Amino acid sequence: MRRPEQTLVDVLVLLALGAYAVPFFWQLLTSFKPETELLRVPPLLPSRLTLAHYSVVLEQSLIPRALVNSVGIATLTTLLALAVGVPGAYAIARLPLPGKGALLLAIVASTAFPQIATVSPLYLLMRTIGLRDTWAGLVLVHSSFALPLTIWLLVGFIREIPREAEEAASVDGAGTLATLRWVVAPRLAPGIASTALLTFLFSWNEFLFAYTFTASEASRTIPVALALFPGVYEVPWGDIAAASMLASLPPVLIVIGLQRFLVRGLVAGALKE
Amino acid sequence: MRRVLLVLWVAALTGCAGSAPERGAITLVFKYARILGPADPLPGLLREFEAAHPNVRVKGESLPWTSDEQHQFYVINLEGRSPGFDVMMLDLIWVPEFARAGWLLDLTPRLGPGELRPYFPSTVEAATYDGRVFALPWIMNVGLLYYRADLLRKYGLEPPETFEALVRQVRRIREGERDPALDGYLWQAKQYEGLVVNVLESFWANGTRLLAADDTVFPEPERAAEALAFLRGLIASGVSPAWTTAADEELSRRAFGDGHAIFLRNWPYAMDLFQARDSRVRGRVGIAPLPRLARGPRGAGSTGGAHLGVSRRSRHPDLAVGLVRFLTSERAQKALARGAALSPTREALYDDPELVRSRPDLPALRALMRAGRPRPVTPYYLLLSATVQPEFSAVLVGVKPPGRAIGDARLRLTHFFGALR
Amino acid sequence: MTGRERADRRQALRLLAPTLLALGALTVYPGFWVVWLSLQHRVPIFHVARFAGLDNYVFLASDPRFWNAARTTVVFTALSVALELALGVTVALALHRQRRGRRLGLSLLLLAWAMPSVVTAKLYEWLYHPAAGLVSVLLGGHALNWLGDPYLALPAVILADVWRTMPFVAILCYARLVTIPAEVYEAAQVDGAGRLATLGRITLPLLGRIVMLALLLRMLDALRAFDIMFVLTGGGPAGTTETLTVYAYRSLFQMLQLGFGSAVSVVVFALVMGVAWAYLRLLRARAVVA
Repeated sequence: MRRPEQTLVDVLVLLALGAYAVPFFWQLLTSFKPETELLRVPPLLPSRLTLAHYSVVLEQSLIPRALVNSVGIATLTTLLALAVGVPGAYAIARLPLPGKGALLLAIVASTAFPQIATVSPLYLLMRTIGLRDTWAGLVLVHSSFALPLTIWLLVGFIREIPREAEEAASVDGAGTLATLRWVVAPRLAPGIASTALLTFLFSWNEFLFAYTFTASEASRTIPVALALFPGVYEVPWGDIAAASMLASLPPVLIVIGLQRFLVRGLVAGALKE
Repeated sequence: MRRVLLVLWVAALTGCAGSAPERGAITLVFKYARILGPADPLPGLLREFEAAHPNVRVKGESLPWTSDEQHQFYVINLEGRSPGFDVMMLDLIWVPEFARAGWLLDLTPRLGPGELRPYFPSTVEAATYDGRVFALPWIMNVGLLYYRADLLRKYGLEPPETFEALVRQVRRIREGERDPALDGYLWQAKQYEGLVVNVLESFWANGTRLLAADDTVFPEPERAAEALAFLRGLIASGVSPAWTTAADEELSRRAFGDGHAIFLRNWPYAMDLFQARDSRVRGRVGIAPLPRLARGPRGAGSTGGAHLGVSRRSRHPDLAVGLVRFLTSERAQKALARGAALSPTREALYDDPELVRSRPDLPALRALMRAGRPRPVTPYYLLLSATVQPEFSAVLVGVKPPGRAIGDARLRLTHFFGALR
Repeated sequence: MTGRERADRRQALRLLAPTLLALGALTVYPGFWVVWLSLQHRVPIFHVARFAGLDNYVFLASDPRFWNAARTTVVFTALSVALELALGVTVALALHRQRRGRRLGLSLLLLAWAMPSVVTAKLYEWLYHPAAGLVSVLLGGHALNWLGDPYLALPAVILADVWRTMPFVAILCYARLVTIPAEVYEAAQVDGAGRLATLGRITLPLLGRIVMLALLLRMLDALRAFDIMFVLTGGGPAGTTETLTVYAYRSLFQMLQLGFGSAVSVVVFALVMGVAWAYLRLLRARAVVA
C-alpha cells in the first residue's frame, strides 16, 4: 500500500476506534457537566465544566470508603492467589506427578464455573464461619476464580522458560524451593505481572459475589456501591457519572500504563492451551 | 506504588469518619432510614431520650436507601449471627417474616393493657404475627386519590366513587380542555413493590384479594383477572399514559405536580409538595378515597409505613423497648409530624389543634387512614411480592393475558408454599 | 523410582497442597454442595431444610418463568456472541493493517473491556435515557423508552454487552494475526493473489482456530451473564431480560429459596459444562478428520 493511502487508513481506523469509545467519553463529559445542563441536550457540549459532582461523591457518599475496600480486597486477592498459585503452578509445570494433565484440565474447567452455581453453597459456608460482610470473606470467594486463573496462566508462562537454568541449579545441588526462588521467579516476573494485573482487574470488577456477601460500608466494593448509588428524589446522573469514573480509574490506568502486560496475560491463556 | 498512593489518597479523603467518644456506659444502636423533610427531628429526639437516661447513649446508624437493600442488609446481619444493633426501623411488610425467623423480640408480655388502642387497627394488625405483637407502629401511610379540584369544579364534577366514573370524567375533561399534554390518571406500574400495591388496591376495589385467610393465593381468579384487565385497559385506552409502566411514586408525583394530569394515586407525602410555595398546582388539589370498581363493594388504599422493633439478641432489651416506646409516643410522633411531615400512627394526633394548624389536611386523612387495608400479613410477603411482580408487569405492558399471568403466578406460589410447610 | 524422583514428588505435593486445599474448599466442595442443595427444600431464615428429591426440577419443567428465562438466555447468547465475533474479527483485521497508532488503538479498544460491568450498565442507562440520552439525541430527538419497552429492552442489553466484550475477541484475533509470519503474505503476493483472495484463502483460515476458541469463551460467559441485566434492567420489563442466572439469583437471595434457586443454578452449571464438553468433542472429531 502506498504511504498516503496507508496514513489515511490509519487515521480512519483510529477515528472508528475513538467513536467506539464514545460511551466512555460521554460519561466522562457528563461527570464534569453542571447539574442544570445534564437533562438539556442538545447542545452536546456544556457551557462550562465543574468538579461539583466529584466533590459530592467524595465528600458525601460511601464511594471513597468503597474504593478503599476495593483496593484492599483486589490487592489481597491478587497476593493470595499468587502466594498459593506460584508454587502450585511450578509443581504442575515442572515436577513429576501422576495425573497432572487431568488436574490442569480440572483447574482450567473450574475457571469456567458459573459463579451463580457456587454462590449458594458459598453463602452457607461464609455464614457458618461468620465471614459475611468482611474483607476476608470476599477475598476468599474471589480466590475461587482468581486462583484457577492464576495457575492456568502461570503454568503456561513457566513452560515458556527454558529448562536449562533449572537443571544447572539442580546439578549445583539447589533444592526445589531455592530454584523456584532464585532461578525461576526472576525469569517469571513479566508473567507474574501479567497474571497479577488480570487477577486484580477481575477482582476489582466482580459484582455477583460482592453484591451477595457484603451488606455495609465495612466491605462493600466499588461496583456494588455504584450499583446501589442512592438517589433522593431523582437519579443523580452527574454524581453517578463521577462515581463510575472513579470506579474505572484503576482499569483505565492499567490499560494505558501497563497495556503490554495486560494484553500478554489476556492472550497467553488463549493462544497456547 | 500507584496503588499504594491511591490507598493513602482515598484514606485521607475519608478521614477518620468512625469512633465518636463514648459517653454513657451503655450504647443502644438504632438502625433507621434517613428522614427527608424540612428538618429532621430525630437527632433531637434521641438526645432527649439520652437526657432521660443519663447512663445510656443512643447511636443512630443509617440504613441503605431503598427498601430492598434495607431488607438485604437486615437478612445478612440477622441471619445466624448477633447483629450489631438493638432497635430497628422496619418496613411493615417485613414484621411477620422477621418474627417467624426469630429475629424480633416478642413485645406482647411487656405491653400494658390498652397500650395498642391509640393506634390505627390496621397498623397493629401488621405488627402482629401468630397472635403476638413484635413491633410498635411508628409512621403511617395510605394510598389515596389526588384530584385537580379546579378542573373537576369547572366541569361540575364530584370526586369519582368508581373507577368507571373516573374514566368518564377523564374523557369529559380532556375533551373540554383540548390540551394534548394533559394526562388522565397517573399511578405506578414499574416492576417493583409499588406495582404490587397498585394491583392489590384494584383487587380490593373489585372485591377480591391476593391471599385468602387459609393461604390460598388468588381465591377468586376471575375477579383478579378482571381487575388486571381493567388496569391494562387504562393504559391501552390512553386514560393513563404509556409511561405508567415505568412510573414510580416520584415520576408520577412530578408529572401531576407540573399540572400535567387530572388524577393521581399516591401516598400522603405528596400533598405537602403540591402545597409548597413554588408548586404549580398549589391550592388546586383535593384528596379522596380510592374509587371502587363497579362490581366491588368499596375502594381502599393500601397501608404502608414503618414499625419499630427490637432485636431478640439485644443485650439491653428493657432499654431498647423503652426507646421504641419513647419514639412511638404521642410526643415523639408529634415532633416527627411537624418537622418531617410524616403521618402519625396514633389516631388522636389527626385532630390535634396544634398539628392541624400546620397541616390542615390531617383531619381528612384520618378517615382515609382508618379505611386503609394492609397488604397480606404473612411471613412470606416478600416471596409473594417477588413472584407476582413480573407477572403483573407482563400484563400491564401487554405481553401476557391476565388469566395466564395469574395461572403462572399461582403455579409458582403453590410450589414455594408447599416447600415452606 | 529413584530417591531423587520420590523426593521431587513429595516436594510437588507439598507445593500443590495449598492450591488443592483452596480449590477443594472454594470450588469442588461448593460444586457438589449446590447439587445437594438443589435436591432440598431449603429456606434458611425459616429454618426449613428437608430433602425434596427431584421436586424442584420437576417443578422447573413446568415453570413458565424458567422457560422464559431459558429462551432469553439462548437469544442473548446467540445474538451477542455472533455480533461480537463478526465485529471482533473485523476490528482485529483493521488493527493489523495499522502502521502507526496501534497502541492508541488498542487503548481505545481495551477501555470498554477493562471497566467494571456495573460501570458499563450505568453508562448505558444514561445513554438510553429517554429524554437526555445520547442515543435519543442521535436519533434526532426521537425519544424511545429503551429499557422500559418489552420489545426494545433485550436488544438494548445485548448492545451494551457486545460493546463491552467485543474488544476481548478483537484482541485475541489480533494477537493471532501478529504471529502470522510476513513470508506467508509475501508468498501470496508473489502468486498474484489479490487482497480479498489473501484474506479469504490465508488470513481467515489461519484465524479459524482462535475464532473457535473465542466462540467458546464468549459463549461460556454469555450463558452465565448477570451483571449487565441485573443492574441495567433488573430482568424487567415484564421479565423480558431475565436470564437464567438472574432468575436463579432472584430465587436465591430475594425469594430466599436456597433449594429452588440452587436447582436453577445447577441448570446454568450443566448448560455451561455441556457447551464446553461439546466443544472439546468437536475439536477432537475435527483433529481425527484432518
